[in-house]
Amino acid sequence: MTRERFISEARACQGRLRRFLASLCGDAALADDIAQEALVRAYVMSDRFAGSFKAWLFRIAYNCFIDNLRRVPPPAVDLMAPEALHVADKEESDAAFRHEALKRALSRIPEKERTAIVLHYFEDLPVKEIAAIMNIPVGTVKYYLSVGRNHLKEHIRL
Amino acid sequence: MMDIEQYLRDNKPEMPEEGQFLVETNARLCNVEGVKKCVDEDRHRGRVALIIALGAGLVLGCLATLLVVIYPFPSIEVNQSALAKVVAELLKWKAFLIALIAGCAIALGVVFMSRKKEAL
Repeated sequence: MTRERFISEARACQGRLRRFLASLCGDAALADDIAQEALVRAYVMSDRFAGSFKAWLFRIAYNCFIDNLRRVPPPAVDLMAPEALHVADKEESDAAFRHEALKRALSRIPEKERTAIVLHYFEDLPVKEIAAIMNIPVGTVKYYLSVGRNHLKEHIRL
Repeated sequence: MMDIEQYLRDNKPEMPEEGQFLVETNARLCNVEGVKKCVDEDRHRGRVALIIALGAGLVLGCLATLLVVIYPFPSIEVNQSALAKVVAELLKWKAFLIALIAGCAIALGVVFMSRKKEAL
């Protein structure tokens, strides 16, 4: 793959890539750092690329996110003490607030469930593609989606 | 009551401007480009060296074969006398060699057992 083609493909995907990573990390600056690391890794390995560029790039980005998580583990989250967040009430229907509440709720669920939820609902990826990105079976993705939805319901009162 | 799936779809996060991100990414890609070029050049040089070594080996092998064909050598006689010398040498150092082999076997056994203990 030539540099020009790589850059044009990366330019087309970068918005979604950054949103995916920002939803996983909950920090836009860190997400941008990981996205850049992923793009550099992808560029170095671009000779070996085959198939869908977006899925391939997301897979590399997910691996970068996991590497980052191992280097800097997040603070422990107590799943048994969910915070009820009133997000759909009339006086609290502000979009920014709802996003903040969602961000907090996402940070409280396990990383694999969060990844499946983000890829499926924010990036509109099919389960099969998510399975390829996370390198797990399709059934496991469906399980993570179901459990993740239930965990989110515990943290967000709709 | 709102459905959680609908809620998630309605609340996709929005990312800030991409300008700075693309500028920084381009700069990093330029740096990587330089490293990539060096690596590619090294690989190319390695491949060329390998091809030269293969060619030289082939030529030397052909020359050696040619020499053997042109000047045949009574190899059986040489082999037999050499073998007899080796056997005589081995017999002379028989006790020492047996002790050496036994020592190695015991050392290997000790190493293997200690590793197994570490693994457990």
